[in-house]
Amino acid sequence: MAEIVLAYCASHAPMMSSARMAAPEEQRNHFFGALDHIRDEAVARGVEACVVLSNEHYTNFFLENFPQLCIGLGEKNWGPTEEWLPIDKVWIPGHAGLANHIARHTLNAGFDPAFSHQLELDHGIMTVYYELDHDMKIPLVPIVQNCAVPPLVPVRRAYEFGKALGDAIRSYPGLQRVAIVGAGGLSHWIGTPRVGDIAEDFDRWFLERLERGELDQVLDLPDSELELAGNGAHEIRSWLAVAGAVEPARPRTLAYEPVYPWITGMAVAQWETSPEREQTSATVGAQDTRREESRT
Amino acid sequence: MSWYQMHRCVYDWVRAGEVNSAAGGEGRAGFDVTLYELTDDERKAFDNRDIAAFYNLGLHEVLLNRFCRAAGFARDDYRKILAPFGEKEERKARWQK
Repeated sequence: MAEIVLAYCASHAPMMSSARMAAPEEQRNHFFGALDHIRDEAVARGVEACVVLSNEHYTNFFLENFPQLCIGLGEKNWGPTEEWLPIDKVWIPGHAGLANHIARHTLNAGFDPAFSHQLELDHGIMTVYYELDHDMKIPLVPIVQNCAVPPLVPVRRAYEFGKALGDAIRSYPGLQRVAIVGAGGLSHWIGTPRVGDIAEDFDRWFLERLERGELDQVLDLPDSELELAGNGAHEIRSWLAVAGAVEPARPRTLAYEPVYPWITGMAVAQWETSPEREQTSATVGAQDTRREESRT
Repeated sequence: MSWYQMHRCVYDWVRAGEVNSAAGGEGRAGFDVTLYELTDDERKAFDNRDIAAFYNLGLHEVLLNRFCRAAGFARDDYRKILAPFGEKEERKARWQK
């Protein structure tokens, strides 16, 4: 059966690709240093496929039919769609076996995900997937979530779906080493007069709740309150799905930077799902420090 | 009632310029706005790329953001256009002391 050998979440502001150098150097190095560490871990742990959850930004679905969840079952998916996003537009290999298994398992567990045999992937998945694998060859099972167009599923429901998703991955016999990734958040506003604001207090509170395992305070959040951290904060549903998938593991925040030029609270957090690796992963901060020192 | 038509028009225009699996991203040049049943105000907002008008007409924020990016606004460059419509938030969230 498959093991979840890598579990992490990262913010997916498109400017991390399109305006990378606009971020202050220290923030940029800290954020991408964490993603560099994740990429190294993926290689070291022999990740065979990844499941990436992210918000649907009116790319695949419109108002005629807007699923709360959609699993990409196809042999391949396309991305990124944004003409201005500087990532090569390519066919991304899927993993139909794992994806179909996830769909069947979560249906049997009481969820009703939609499915698609060809998804168009926007910055939501592509920015983070690209940082995981610059060659974009790791088979990807995309799961798009509705984090934007009300009515939305309650945040607790996203967490519960994550539990079923984790069980699905761990019961899949066709692979041994799978990564699960949440892409999105943290606080940000888009398309409103507050675009550019970042709710640093929310971001730090949310990351602390995850690290402490005090999820009830998060899972009880109604959308009206969550929106006080920005309409983009609904994307914590992707983070909570990953948290559910690997419970009772708790994450460690590898980076948090309120990057105002990217209009987003940018974070990377990793859940250690392989206990024997905890000691190795705990050195990431020191590694980053050494990397910084070597540049000076 | 044209709320749907306004959204459909903006969505189709944004997607027409993207690099989708079946098209190369040149679709905005020949975009025919007359195919949509827009009110005069909606049509003016589209023709003038009027961000403030679309905001006040109730265009969904995600779609408005995508429209801004596709129309050439980068990051939060449209903030100053929308700033006059902001309202002071009086509510407190559980993470705010």
